[in-house]
Amino acid sequence: MMKAKPTELALSVSVLGLGIAVAIGTSQLSSAGGYARIGPNVAPAITAGGLILLGAWLSYEALSGGWRNAIPDDPEARGEHRFHIGAFIWVSVGLIAQILLIHTAGFVLAQAALFACVARGFGSAKLARDFAFGLILALMVFLFFVKFLNVNLPTGWLAPIFGGAGI
Amino acid sequence: MFETFHALLHGFSIALTPLNLLWGFIGVVLGTFIGVLPGVGPALTVAMLMPLTIKLDPTGALIMFAGIYYGAMYGGSTTTILLNTPGESASIATALEGNLMAKKGRAGPALATSAIGSFVAGTIATVLVTLLAPIVVEIALRFGPAEYFALMIFAFTTVSAVIGSSMVRGLTSLFIGLLLGVVGIDSQTGKSRFAFGVPELLDGIDVVVLAVGLFAVGEALYVGAYSSRLEEKIEQLKGSLWMSKEDWKRSWPAWLRATAIGFPFGSIPAGGAEIPTFLSYAVEKKLTKHPEEFGHGAIEGVAGPEAANNASVTGALVPLLTLGIPTSATAAILLSAFQNYGIQPGPMLFQMQADLVWGLLASLYIGNVLLLILNLPLVGIWVKVLTIPRPLLYGGILVFATLGAYSLHQSVVDLVILYVFGLLGFVMRRWGIPVAPAVIGLILGPLAETQARRALAISQGNASVFLTQPISASILAVSFLLLIVPLIVQLLRRNK
Repeated sequence: MMKAKPTELALSVSVLGLGIAVAIGTSQLSSAGGYARIGPNVAPAITAGGLILLGAWLSYEALSGGWRNAIPDDPEARGEHRFHIGAFIWVSVGLIAQILLIHTAGFVLAQAALFACVARGFGSAKLARDFAFGLILALMVFLFFVKFLNVNLPTGWLAPIFGGAGI
Repeated sequence: MFETFHALLHGFSIALTPLNLLWGFIGVVLGTFIGVLPGVGPALTVAMLMPLTIKLDPTGALIMFAGIYYGAMYGGSTTTILLNTPGESASIATALEGNLMAKKGRAGPALATSAIGSFVAGTIATVLVTLLAPIVVEIALRFGPAEYFALMIFAFTTVSAVIGSSMVRGLTSLFIGLLLGVVGIDSQTGKSRFAFGVPELLDGIDVVVLAVGLFAVGEALYVGAYSSRLEEKIEQLKGSLWMSKEDWKRSWPAWLRATAIGFPFGSIPAGGAEIPTFLSYAVEKKLTKHPEEFGHGAIEGVAGPEAANNASVTGALVPLLTLGIPTSATAAILLSAFQNYGIQPGPMLFQMQADLVWGLLASLYIGNVLLLILNLPLVGIWVKVLTIPRPLLYGGILVFATLGAYSLHQSVVDLVILYVFGLLGFVMRRWGIPVAPAVIGLILGPLAETQARRALAISQGNASVFLTQPISASILAVSFLLLIVPLIVQLLRRNK
């Protein structure tokens, strides 16, 4: 018998675990449903049941020769290259930086940082140029949203400049 | 029939006002521009451009969305033909022959047959939507909550279990969507569910955040990790854009056959444009007088699937507008756009907000014409868009995509959720779990729950209500068979 692929098994068990966690969470919900006799716990219970069933089904597939019609594990068979950890990390860093910066440094700087990090992740070596591009792009978006759509976006550290410009 | 014609004329009088025409025009151009970007499919395009409509009245906004919807699809096929990176599964069939035509220096006719075919199929399908919608509305007005619930279950089954390569993975995606749909305050009892004390979660998870997370963030993580270091090869746009007499002769029948295949698939909630495009490809391959060209760039192989895609996507507006049931990720986002304006599509919409519905339908005709006029002349610009270096392109995509998610509630929590969904999207893409069922599950799950409760409130808690009413019982039976039959077939095969 073929050995099960660890990632497939891990994902299958995660679905199963998620189902069990939802079931536990559901048991703490009220079942009082009023007139319809369906409380707020019925839909979560069905969801939990479905996830447990599907997790078990996926685990069975993983243990009996692997998921059916699975995507090939060999990147070359998919026409791709090997997992590039740097790209994955830089894109993640960009998104996390944006989360941390948007309410402190403001929208424009946060988006510029995101832009530069993503570009770096996709193989660009010109970090300063990319940051400048991102800054211009974010500034245009910012002005468009604030001026034309009246959507407030956080100004953050650039508040003195924007304040001076009458925005 | 006459009433429909009259209503449509009235619709044109709304859609043809200069301002609404302008919104339609902007929608088509922006939709195409964003849709051309490699890696951006129609669902993401609509989600990304949603904030732009904030200031418009509902009618203008929906007219703009119709333009975006069509433009995004057209832009996607340009990318598919010139770059061979299908932005969505419904474009895979086009990629087969379209890219080969481009490789042989026939990119012009490939783009032309795809544009004109989309116009022909889109227009015929729009006529069919116009004729069919009022009839469906008549029927739907007699539907009670039990029938709606059954229809939603049917939609769940088709989008998750019938299409795609694995039923269990499709259903897993659906149930993840259903789980996300449960989060927040329960609309009937006011109890909070799975919000973990986070106030931002009480309103529930927005379908736009999920779609942007899966389609933009997940895609960027995936492409970055697995194909950012590959060389891109864009086919040159050489020679004439025009189709020869021979091209026309071979394209026409393919467009019409594909429309006949695509429309029914879109209009019954049968899940997505993927099946009809492949079906059309197979039909054209079988009927062609030039079988030797298939696999080397046969024009029918582009004309058919492209037309089928457009007909099916247009047909999907029937269940969306008349029943409020989306059958694709893009339709799910359109539904959420409706909801943002406080509009719940369904039969009542045709009666309560006739101006809006008919204005929207009329704008579909206009959108098709605009696309035809704009796209072929502007194809040079779209080709330029394709040459944007990947690092800058993805940087830009994420800047706009995260903006789309952030501007909904101006909440950092949404951005955190967005990143989590991005990781989820990466995993799903890598291990072949389809994402569309999750998006549909998220938006349709709570609606199905509401309908089930209404049905049970009417029957005073008697659950047999779903099975004693003939319409709901038969829809549920069909859904059940769709789930069970493939499993039985599988079991029988194994025992042989």
